Amino acid sequence: MAQKSASTLNPETHLLLDQPLLRLPHEVLRKIFKTSQKYVEQDTKKISELAKEATKAADPASPDASIASINTMITRMQGLKRKMENLHEEEKLVHSQARKRTTHLKDLYGLSSLLEDGYGKWSKVRLDRLLVDYMLRNGYSESAKKLAHEKGIDELVDIDVFLQCWSIEESLHRKSTTECLAWCQENKNALKKIKSTLEFELRLQQYIELVRERKLGDAVAYARKYLSGNFDSHPYDFHRASCMLAFPPDRPGPYKDLYAESRWGHLVHTFVATHHNLYNIPQGPLLHVALSAGLSALKTPSCHSTLPSSRSNTASSVTSLCPICSTELNDLAIHVPYGHHTTSWVEHDLVVLPNGRVYGTRRLEDLANKLGLAAGRVRDPITGEEWDSEEVRKVFIS
Amino acid sequence: MAPGAPSQSPANLGSPPTGTRPPDQAISLASSPRHHSTNLSARQPANGTCIATDTASFEPSQTISAHKMDGVEKELDRLTGKANLSNSIRDIDGCLELLMAAKANIEADPASTASTMASLEVQLKAGFDRTNDSLKEVYTGLNKYGKALDKKFKPVNMSDYDVLSTHQPLINRAIAMHLLREGNFSIAETFISEAELAAPIPPKLEADFRAMYHIKEALRLRDLGPAIEWAASKRRELEARGSNLEFELHRLQYVVYLFGDGEDGPRKALEYSRREFLPFQQKYLAEISQLAGALLWREKMPTSPYADILNSDAAWSAVADSFTSEFCSLINLSAESPLYVAATAGAIALPTLLKMTSIMKEKKTEWTSQNELPVEIPLPDKYKFHSIFVCPVSKEQTTDLNPPMMIPCGHVLAKDSLQKLSRSGNRFKCPYCPADSMPKDARELYL
Repeated sequence: MAQKSASTLNPETHLLLDQPLLRLPHEVLRKIFKTSQKYVEQDTKKISELAKEATKAADPASPDASIASINTMITRMQGLKRKMENLHEEEKLVHSQARKRTTHLKDLYGLSSLLEDGYGKWSKVRLDRLLVDYMLRNGYSESAKKLAHEKGIDELVDIDVFLQCWSIEESLHRKSTTECLAWCQENKNALKKIKSTLEFELRLQQYIELVRERKLGDAVAYARKYLSGNFDSHPYDFHRASCMLAFPPDRPGPYKDLYAESRWGHLVHTFVATHHNLYNIPQGPLLHVALSAGLSALKTPSCHSTLPSSRSNTASSVTSLCPICSTELNDLAIHVPYGHHTTSWVEHDLVVLPNGRVYGTRRLEDLANKLGLAAGRVRDPITGEEWDSEEVRKVFIS
Repeated sequence: MAPGAPSQSPANLGSPPTGTRPPDQAISLASSPRHHSTNLSARQPANGTCIATDTASFEPSQTISAHKMDGVEKELDRLTGKANLSNSIRDIDGCLELLMAAKANIEADPASTASTMASLEVQLKAGFDRTNDSLKEVYTGLNKYGKALDKKFKPVNMSDYDVLSTHQPLINRAIAMHLLREGNFSIAETFISEAELAAPIPPKLEADFRAMYHIKEALRLRDLGPAIEWAASKRRELEARGSNLEFELHRLQYVVYLFGDGEDGPRKALEYSRREFLPFQQKYLAEISQLAGALLWREKMPTSPYADILNSDAAWSAVADSFTSEFCSLINLSAESPLYVAATAGAIALPTLLKMTSIMKEKKTEWTSQNELPVEIPLPDKYKFHSIFVCPVSKEQTTDLNPPMMIPCGHVLAKDSLQKLSRSGNRFKCPYCPADSMPKDARELYL
């Protein structure tokens, strides 16, 4: 039952590509929780202090002072409530997103065959998701938003997260570290946990820029403030940073790499890697992964052959073009290996025409029928040559 | 009915309309699973590496499929039900009430200021503790949800499979063409400008896709006009391809008139057939005769199986598919979006590839055969487009440099194998049958 197992859909393994769909909302929820925890901690601490002081100062002779303290506490408490309510709204959105996504993934369990219409539809949605993800990661934000919106898959894609990431990427491309440093500040604990060097790298870059402009005093002050604290974890970088003071950018000596413009590209790369790591999303677009695997699985030695294939061809209505041979993917597929096969896969009742082309008998009959050829004649679907059927001979391929 | 065509005897209606074969017939007959294989046994190419040959170990695991998404859903229910910020907000409200009450108390009875303040401090502390407890519940809920996800999805490192990261321009072009093909013109326009395509899409191609979309939309709304007009303009090309599309469109139009226009239907259908069937008379005589017969039997047709065959959703979608396939072939493209087919095939292939990588890592082997995957990917037949010949002697797929050769007895070998068997040009015995032959009598085949 080889055929059966090849078209059987096993949702459990099939969902490999889709786990970021649920992982990301989980990370967003955790972030929301952490923020709420911070708010509660800060505000309750402050209010507790206020309450303590007010209790100490409480005097029946001047109730107004106590009332004023209570009013301060109320304002603070209301502020906390507002912040928490905002977070709760965000939380609800993410919950509904997670729900939609879970349902979408669950839909796959209702299918059992890769040949069902339902699977085709599901797979179309998956492609749209992969495309939106690809567009967002490459900064094609408007296209991504439009596609998500028109296909009605807004809740299955992570536009906001990627937009934020992209805007920080862009700021780094513009050589501004402000936005990225703010992001580091926002995610301080999480970054500490994964021992991220991102912030140090950014600070180092700021320092390098000051050195580049020969504002050496500022540079030293900056290093003292932001770099020296990290001496223990980055002694080598710190030493090099100190020594580069003596080498101006036009004579960089051994510090060429520190002055290099490409360091900004490195920062972008580090930031994106760190960002995706925090959100538990894959480093590269999943479209690449799906296509790399798919192109290889579909590709055959015939796909980039100089000889026209007898099966995958646009020359006749009884043949149709293979997706790898189609313009869209042909150049791209040059870069992947072709699929491995242990057995031949050919049509029934193969015959060979005098020109060496091999076809299934049914296909040739079908074409002769459609063309209304005279009885006993065959036409090569690809080259258009015609012969008597006596010139056609059987061929055995096993 | 074409003028002068012999009138049809009703008996002819006893056989289902023969007509032309649906265009996908070719595909379905090609997909007979004779040589299909899902065998995952690893290959041992001469120049490649040898990896695990334990077939069973390659089968993607199916163990927890019974759980579906239940575990994840259960934990999500907990999050939306209780383990969210609403409880801490309620606790914060409680604290606000305490503050309000204390304020009112002092205003009403200034003498109680000290005691009110003291008890407020204590009550607030309890309120804050409650708030924190509620937060803890969210924390626990999120942890459990995370664990459910971990259980459901084994972490995988997908970046191993990305060999395309340096080919963004080509991917962008494929996406732009996909968007156009699917009729998403406005998105395509935005995308093309945002992605700054290195090689722009030829305007001709975009115009073609627009034309295709326009015709398909009309077909969706059950209007055959634009499709018929297009097919007529491409009559010569379509005929050369052996396509019956134009006749199929006319036939459907005839049936639409016949059954669609009430009392007036037969007259319209007859007029239509007189006007349009003439060029097809010679080639499709049998079909036209049958359609003419249908005219006489119209009253009974709607209840007969023919009506269904001739004017049903299936008939419309068959004509639409046939149109798409012919249209794409004439502009030298595959009928279905290559991007869609490839991404789907990729999702099907990934479990096997991941399994392969993990086994290769375990065995500390490397995949050295760069131009061929080391493992067979089981794909359904509809994802197979080319014939594949694996030489029975060398077990290698044939290529342009090592093509299949047919020896006089009709058996086929790869060229390299043939040369090895014949030890440079000597007479040799066919590995399959007793016949022997000279290598010079072998003929190259084109699959």
